[in-house]
Amino acid sequence: MAGGIDRRFVYNVDWVLLGATLALALVGVAMVSSATYSGRHPDLYVKQLVLVGVGTVGLVVAASLDYRRLADRAVLLYVLSVVALLYVLRFGPVIAGTRRWILVGGFQLQPSELVKLAAAVFVAKVFSEYRQETLGLRDVVLPGAAIALLGFLIAREPDLGTAVCLVPLFLVVAFLAGLRMRAVAGLAAVMLLLAALTWPFLKDYQKTRVYTFLDPSLDPRGAGYQKIQSQIAVGSGGLLGRGFLGGSQAQLGYLPARHTDFIFSVLAEEAGFVGVVVALGLYLLVLWRMLETARLARDRLGAFLVAGLAGSFAFQVVYNVAMVAGLVPVKGLPLPLMSYGGSSVVSSLMGVGLVLSVRIRRFAN
Amino acid sequence: MRIYEDLRVVQSRLALLQAVAVVLVAALVVQFWNLQVVRARHFRGLAENNRSRLVTLAAPRGALLDREGQVLVGNRPSFNVVLVPENADDRLVARLSATLDVREAAIRERLVRRQPYRPVVVKTDATLADVAALEARRLELPEVTVEVVPLRSYPLASAAAHALGRVGEITAGQLPLAEFRGLAPGSLVGQAGLESRYNKDLMGKDGFRRVIVNSRGLEVAEAERQAPEDGPSLTLSIDASLQAAMERSFEGRAGSAVALDPRTGEILAMASTPAYDPNAFTTGIDASLWASLASDPLTPLMNRVIQGTYSPGSTFKIIASTAALEEGVITPATTFYCPGYLAVYNTVFHCTHSHGVMDLRRAIANSCNVYFYQVGIRLEIARLAKWAKLMGLGIPTGIDLPYESSGLMPTSEWKMRVFKTPWYAGETVSVAIGQGQVSATPLQMARVVAVIANGGRLVNPRLAKAAAGGGRAPVPLGIHPETIAAVKEGMRAVVAEGTGWRARLQAVEVCGKTGSAQVVAKSRLEKSPDTHELLPHGWFLAFAPADDPTIALAVLVEHGRSGGESAAPVARQILAHYFGLDRPGAPGVAGVPDTEAED
Repeated sequence: MAGGIDRRFVYNVDWVLLGATLALALVGVAMVSSATYSGRHPDLYVKQLVLVGVGTVGLVVAASLDYRRLADRAVLLYVLSVVALLYVLRFGPVIAGTRRWILVGGFQLQPSELVKLAAAVFVAKVFSEYRQETLGLRDVVLPGAAIALLGFLIAREPDLGTAVCLVPLFLVVAFLAGLRMRAVAGLAAVMLLLAALTWPFLKDYQKTRVYTFLDPSLDPRGAGYQKIQSQIAVGSGGLLGRGFLGGSQAQLGYLPARHTDFIFSVLAEEAGFVGVVVALGLYLLVLWRMLETARLARDRLGAFLVAGLAGSFAFQVVYNVAMVAGLVPVKGLPLPLMSYGGSSVVSSLMGVGLVLSVRIRRFAN
Repeated sequence: MRIYEDLRVVQSRLALLQAVAVVLVAALVVQFWNLQVVRARHFRGLAENNRSRLVTLAAPRGALLDREGQVLVGNRPSFNVVLVPENADDRLVARLSATLDVREAAIRERLVRRQPYRPVVVKTDATLADVAALEARRLELPEVTVEVVPLRSYPLASAAAHALGRVGEITAGQLPLAEFRGLAPGSLVGQAGLESRYNKDLMGKDGFRRVIVNSRGLEVAEAERQAPEDGPSLTLSIDASLQAAMERSFEGRAGSAVALDPRTGEILAMASTPAYDPNAFTTGIDASLWASLASDPLTPLMNRVIQGTYSPGSTFKIIASTAALEEGVITPATTFYCPGYLAVYNTVFHCTHSHGVMDLRRAIANSCNVYFYQVGIRLEIARLAKWAKLMGLGIPTGIDLPYESSGLMPTSEWKMRVFKTPWYAGETVSVAIGQGQVSATPLQMARVVAVIANGGRLVNPRLAKAAAGGGRAPVPLGIHPETIAAVKEGMRAVVAEGTGWRARLQAVEVCGKTGSAQVVAKSRLEKSPDTHELLPHGWFLAFAPADDPTIALAVLVEHGRSGGESAAPVARQILAHYFGLDRPGAPGVAGVPDTEAED
C-alpha cells in the first residue's frame, strides 16, 4: 500500500469529512462515559476510545487501499462474507439469545458490520460494470438476489437492523446506476410486499415492538418502555440540556441500552436541543461530504462505492435518531460512530476510510 | 490512457440524494424541537416523576390514656421488611422466603396486590433475628430494606378490648367515604371501638420522604423530608385498675359489665367477655384466627355492653316502680297479696313462690312478680312505655362508641306497625316484670339505675374525658324526690335483706336489683334444667354508696341462672375493688363466706 500513496493523495484528503467524523466519534466516547458513569462498568469509555483509535487506523488503511484494486476482488469479498456469516450462524456463541458474534482472541467481532463494507464494494463493482444508460428491473434482479442472501443470513442471527441496512445501500447504488424511475417505484412496491410477506415470520418480540410503537401504553414496562423512556429523556433535556452527567434518565438507569442503541438519548438529555442540532449538523456534514465525494469521483465505481456507503450510513443515522425521538419502532440498530460497540465503530470509520480512498484518487490514473 | 466515464446521470441523481438527506435531517430537527422545546416542561415533569418517589412516614396514632394517665393503647416501634418490587424475581422471593420464614406464596400474593411503584411490605413486625439475617445478606438482597414503623400496641391485651377497639388497614368500602378522605390504600385506621369513633382525632399527620430512586427502584438519595406529627392522645374516664378487677370478676364466664359515675355519665369500666386481643389485628390478622373469632358461638368480637340486647327481667321493676309512683297508681304503702301466682286475662302468671302481703319496698327486695303484675295492669302499656323511654330504653344511649344497639321498648303502636295485631292487656303483665318483647343493653340498664342513684337525672354515658365536645350533662327527668327515695329504699332492701344479698359489703352500703332474663319458655327449661344454653341470664344493677352514690353498675352473666346467684357476686367484687375493700387489711365482705383470697 505504501507504493500507492503520493503527496497528491495527502493534499486531496477531505479534512472536513475526517474532522467531522472524528468529532462525532469523540462525542460518542464522551456520551458512552456519561451513559456508563453510574453503572457497573464506568470505564467502558476507555475501551471505546481505544476502539476509536483502532478504527482510525482502519480508516487510514482503507483510505490508502486503492478502491479499484479492492473492487477487483469483489467476488472474493462476497464469498468470504457468506462464509463468515454461515460460520457465525453455525458456530457463533449465543449471546442474549442471538448469534451475531465470533470470538477472536478474547474480542467479540460482529462480522455483519464488515459484511456491510464488503457488500458496498460488491454492489458498486457489479453496477459499475453495466454499460447501458438506464437499467430496468431485470438488470437488478441478480445483484439484488446476491445482496438478499447476505441480508437473509444476517436476519437469521437474528439482527434485523443490520440486515435492513443493506436495502438502502443497494437501492441508492441501483438508483445512481440509472435504474428507471418506474423501476424504482416498482422496487419500492416489491419491498413493501416483501415486508408484508415477512410479517408472519417475524419473531413475537419483533411484532410486539411494532404493536407497542403504535401504542406504547400497551406495555409501559416492557417493549413500550424504551420508547417512553427515550422520549422522556429527550424531552426533559430541553433547550440547553441538563449538563454532562446531569441527566436523571441516563444516570438513574431509566434509559435502556443507553450506551449502545440509545446513546443519542443521553446526548439529547444532557446536551439539549443545542447539542442535538450540533450532532445532527455534524452527521449531515459527514453525509454531505460523502455525497460530494461521490459527485467528484473519477469513475462510476468510486461514485457507487461512496454512495452505497453513504446510503447505509444515512439510513442508520436517520433511523436510529428517529427511533430515539419516538418516530419509528425500536429496532436494535446502533448509531454509527457514537454507539458503544467495537465492530460498529471500526466498520463506520473504515467506511469513511473507503470514501476518502475514492476522494484522494479522483485525479489519479 | 485515461477514460472519462459519462457521470452526468450519476451526478444529477446524487444532487437529489443530497437534498433528500437535508430534508430528512431537517425533519428530525423539527421533531427534536417539538420534544425538547415545545413539550420540554411536560417531559421534565415525567422525568421528575420517574426519579422521585414519595415514601410515607406513618404518624403514630394518639395514645389512649386512662383517667390517671396510664397508657391503655400506645405505639411501639416495629420493623417492616420492605421489598422494592420492580426487580423481584423468583430467586429473590425464594431467598427472602428462606431468610424470613415467610411462605413464598404469601410474598407473591403481596407482590401481586401491590400498587405500581410502591414498595411492598413483605413481613410486618419482623423480629430482631429477621433484621440481623437480612443485614448479613445485604449484598445478595439489595432490593430489600427494613423500615421502622410505629405499631399500635394494647398493653392490657384483651382487657377493655371492645371499648378501646382495634385498628386495621382501611377497607375498599371505606376509601371513598368522606371521613377517610385523603388516605391511601394500606393506611391504618380504627376499625372498632374508640379507635374507630375517634379515628380522625387520633390520627396524626403522616410525614413523607421524597427520595431519588434509580430505575431498579433503589433509593440513591433523599431530596426532602417532612417529619410525621404524632396524633394527640385521648384521656378516657376508664379506670384501668377497676377495669382489670371487672375482667377478673367474670372468671371466664360470658357476659358483660359496665360501671359509670352516676353524677356525670363517665364510664369507669366496661367489660365484655369473651374478648379478643386487639394486638392480633395491628399487623393484619391471620385468616384462621379471624375465622375462629368470627364463627365463635360466644361472639368474642361483639361488645355485649352496647350490642347485647337481653330481656331486662326483674331489673325492669325499677322502671315499673318509678312509673307507678309518678303516675300515682300506687304509693310506697300500697300493698298487694301474692299467693304465688296471678290469674288474669284467662292466663295464670307465676311468681317464684307465695310472698304474702307485699308493699313496694318488700316487693322490690323480694322481686315479687305478682306485685308488679298488679302495677302493670294499673299502669297499662302506654304509661309504662313512656317512663321506660324516659329512662332510656328503646333508644341508643349515645355513648361515644360505634354500632350501638337501641334495644326495644314495645308499645301498642309498635305492635300494630310490626305485627299488624292489637296489643293484649296480658302482654303488659309480662312487660311489667321485664319479660316479653322488652329488651335492653347492659349500658341502657346502667343508665336506668343511675337515674335512681343521682336523684332522677338521665346520664349521657361517655368514655372520652372532655374530648370531642365533651359529655352532655345529665338530663333531669322531673321525677319526684319521694319516688326516688321509695325505689332506693327497695333497692337498699334488695341487698340488705333480699335477693341481692350476695352483693353486700361490710363497709359500704350497696343498693341493687337482681333480674333473670329467660332465654326459653319456662316449660322448655323444665324439661332440660341443666342445659347451659337454656339457662336464663343473670342480671344485677347496683349503685353505692347508698346515700351518696359515686358508682352505678350493670352486670350481666349469660346463662347465670338467677341474677342473685351469678351477677350479684360479680358486682360485689367490682364494688369491693372500687371502694378499696379487696386489698389486704381491708374490712371483709359481710354476709358471704370469704371463699376467695382476692388478688
